[in-house]
Amino acid sequence: MNEKTIKVYKDLMGANAEWAQKTRDLLKKKKVVMLNLIGSPGSGKTVLLERLAKDCSDSLSFSVLEGDVETTKDAERLQKLDILASQLLTGGACHLEAKLVHYALKDLPLDELDIVFVENVGNLVCPAEFDIGEEAKIAVLSVTEGEEKPSKYPLLFNEASAVVLTKTDLLPHLNYKIGVCMEAIKDVNGSIPVFQVDALNGNGVEQWHEWIKERVRAC
Amino acid sequence: MHEFSICQSLVDMALNEIKKIEPAPVRVIKVIVVIGGLRQIILEQLQFAYDVLIKDTIAEGSVLEVEYIPVCGKCKECGWEGFLEVPVMLCVECGEASVDITSGKELYLKQVEIDE
Ligand SMILES: Nc1nc2c(ncn2[C@@H]2O[C@H](COP(=O)(O)OP(=O)(O)O)[C@@H](O)[C@H]2O)c(=O)[nH]1
Ligand SMILES: [Mg+2]
Ligand SMILES: [Zn+2]
Repeated sequence: MNEKTIKVYKDLMGANAEWAQKTRDLLKKKKVVMLNLIGSPGSGKTVLLERLAKDCSDSLSFSVLEGDVETTKDAERLQKLDILASQLLTGGACHLEAKLVHYALKDLPLDELDIVFVENVGNLVCPAEFDIGEEAKIAVLSVTEGEEKPSKYPLLFNEASAVVLTKTDLLPHLNYKIGVCMEAIKDVNGSIPVFQVDALNGNGVEQWHEWIKERVRAC
Repeated sequence: MHEFSICQSLVDMALNEIKKIEPAPVRVIKVIVVIGGLRQIILEQLQFAYDVLIKDTIAEGSVLEVEYIPVCGKCKECGWEGFLEVPVMLCVECGEASVDITSGKELYLKQVEIDE
């Protein structure tokens, strides 16, 4: 027996990070913003995008990369509103990786777009671990999920650039304390905006839409 | 659940590193991976994936060792530096939400121990 130690010190996300960087370079060249929507299944990600299509289609040109489910239902919902949405085939994975997103992005008409949304797989853990080359991660949280989520999933909320708190129209029916949720968000990330929206009926979405447009202007 | 895909990178990388060694080692004894406290990796799942992925390789039977790195930060306002009690990432000293994370997001293969 002759034991030997080989020092490696190599990042396990290295290959993913390289693809993410390629995506950032491409987005920069094409002057396109990419936002990565991360939230539980049913938190309202697709409705949020449908609302954006209804309210802002004349001022924003956007596409959606749909990674949430293997069926094409979400993509079809968006296509009905004339949004180009492509379904990513994740093979049932719990998150999207940078390489897949990169290839899907290259198939979009980037010259005509202001912004690409990625609807990530419905899950608060795994998608937060993988950089896909987005400009910003957006945490999507519905008021039906309980106030403590930001404390339970600190990585996502720490890395997110904004939180969209959805389904506020349901608040009268719930015993939900928005203040508790806001405190939990502030604890993990004090500097991010929280948009309270009812995207189904289109209430309170203006600031969220304005925030998106501001990012497009700054791009 | 992402543990499997992360472990695949880990095992691939470890096997790749020892491929370069001449003469080829007899077996892998241990693989050490470093994981920061903010990474949401369930160790049981990582271990499970590891056992599956090393089957029929030179690393079969090897030990996976995890080194944990605590979450630390530095305050931009008052200069405080120290450990953070996740999920609270406010400055321990001044209470401001102005802390840069200085450690806790690590995820890398540190070393591979082999039997020559
Ligand atoms: N009441 C209410 N329901 C909503 C709202 N947003 C989404 N929903 C409902 O929540 C369910 C899941 O929404 P969806 O956008 O498909 O969630 P996703 O899985 O995150 O894409 C659907 O039945 C939506 O109609 C909202 O603002 N208010
Ligand atoms: Mg959806
Ligand atoms: Zn401070």
